[in-house]
Amino acid sequence: MVRFVARRVLFSVVVLVAASAVIFVLTRLVPGSPALILLGPEAKAEQVQDLERRLGLDRPLAVQYARWISDVVLHGDFGRSYISGLPITSEILRTLPITVEIVLLAFVFCLVVAVPLGIVSALYEDGLIDHVARIVAIAGVSVPGFWLGLMLIVCGAVHLGWFPPGGYTPLSMGLGAHLQSLVLPAFSLGIYYTAIISRMTRSSLVEVLRQDYIRTARALGLSRTRIVAYALKNALIPVVSVAAMSVGYMFGWAIIIEQVFNIAGLSRSLLSALFQRDYYMVQAVVLVITIVFVGANLAAEILYRALNPRVRGTA
Amino acid sequence: MLRVLAGNRLGLVGTVVIGVVVIVALLAPVLATHDPEEVNLAGKLQAPNREHLMGTDQSGRDVFSRVLWGTRVSLMVGVLAVVLGLLGGVTIGTIAGYYGGSLLEQVLVRSMDALSSIPLLIWAIAVVGIIGVAPIRLGPLEFPNETKVILLTGVLYIPAIARVTHAVVLVESASDYVRARRAQGASDLEIMGGEILRNCISPLTVQATLFVAIGIIVEASLSFIGLGVQPPKPSWGTMLADARGYVFSGEWWLPVFPGLAISVTVIGFNLLGDGLRDLLDPRKATTQQMV
Repeated sequence: MVRFVARRVLFSVVVLVAASAVIFVLTRLVPGSPALILLGPEAKAEQVQDLERRLGLDRPLAVQYARWISDVVLHGDFGRSYISGLPITSEILRTLPITVEIVLLAFVFCLVVAVPLGIVSALYEDGLIDHVARIVAIAGVSVPGFWLGLMLIVCGAVHLGWFPPGGYTPLSMGLGAHLQSLVLPAFSLGIYYTAIISRMTRSSLVEVLRQDYIRTARALGLSRTRIVAYALKNALIPVVSVAAMSVGYMFGWAIIIEQVFNIAGLSRSLLSALFQRDYYMVQAVVLVITIVFVGANLAAEILYRALNPRVRGTA
Repeated sequence: MLRVLAGNRLGLVGTVVIGVVVIVALLAPVLATHDPEEVNLAGKLQAPNREHLMGTDQSGRDVFSRVLWGTRVSLMVGVLAVVLGLLGGVTIGTIAGYYGGSLLEQVLVRSMDALSSIPLLIWAIAVVGIIGVAPIRLGPLEFPNETKVILLTGVLYIPAIARVTHAVVLVESASDYVRARRAQGASDLEIMGGEILRNCISPLTVQATLFVAIGIIVEASLSFIGLGVQPPKPSWGTMLADARGYVFSGEWWLPVFPGLAISVTVIGFNLLGDGLRDLLDPRKATTQQMV
């Protein structure tokens, strides 16, 4: 197990180094030096060269990358945005918690709905609830979250007035108002994963309930609740791992959902940086989201290994 | 196969929906009541009426005609991305499986692992954002921004397709049949192209159908944030982006119709994919793909 964890951690680090190098090189390959963007099209060649020297842009790419990545790893310092001149790390520390909060709310909503729904669907296989759940799940993976968000704004905010039509109300304005501003975004974000996890819980539990040891337990006269509890212990192993992965995926979609609800989370940082060609900011945000995603995948693998006695011992 | 599908009600519904969507895409020029790009500022923001079945948008363009034309680019992106994913994934999966146990297999499997542990949606957003949304020019040919969306979405599919292919090929290349063919002196290429790939068709059909659904959502989402299909070309995602500005003023038809078009089309592919999985893939080799 220790060897397994060590190997996967090492693999994740390699992936992150490769990903950070690719995004770094990509932002440098685009025509138009940051110095030129900063100084404007009328700048003289000497001015551009001078600024490039001060920003360290005249160094070889590998040197620039090494400096950037060592600052990030050693000091958590992503450098300064050359558009606003402000430290990127503090911008990310301001917007990241908003995105994290939406993702976590969506995740909690997703688990609270999906797991019980999946269990009931499995216990009453091909019953009414199972059929309804199947249709809802197909709708859930098909209706795009960002459109659902738009429609929820039209119905829940504009017509009914139950929720604010967008924007983010900070916790300092009161817990109620704060949560109210997050309900619709979290719902729009979580519905896809709710659909996937509920069907996954169902199929996994159905499969376990067909195993011999469950039949034996039944023959021994164990109560239904006890049998289901034993079955769940095994059936939920793959569900836990998929749930962990879904956190990573949700971070990606949160960018789109925040845009619908006009929330200034990481998406604002990324999209405005892209449109302003603030590439230091772009590479920082992409790297942060990639770290979260790789971390979620790593957690999924380790949890699966740790929970599953059949593969726990193997390297 | 159609007869078997008929036994599977949801799969049948999916087939019919996709059939209708494909016909609409092909006949868009005939079915559309207006030019989808024709601006008429005097008649802007009309509610649905007899002249404009789904109303008009902020520039007075006919929403119905734009929704019909939008079918084309959505289907094109969805299908071409899957074709690309299949080309890459099947090639990599077959090579890895056929040379099972070799260093080459290790390298290919690891790189697929690495690729699938990258959040490709964000990377697609960043890459398109960095290189810009201008068309790509290759000599006399000009490829619109959708091409980048197709390429990046195709890459997103490769690991899953390679994994399915790899698993099937590993089993098949150890089979007596393949060993017999090898003993007869058949070449590697002959064996791979023949018996082995034939066994991948079932799981891959299921996977490909479900991937078309995902591709359509990814394209619409990228277009929604301005990094997919570029205006004035009609697409569902950009129509929703325009509608974003009118959700407060009561022009409900602007967000409703393009969104319904996306949802119905994607439901069609998901229903067919689910139906096909029940039929073709009883061992559930297809993975549940999340995006």
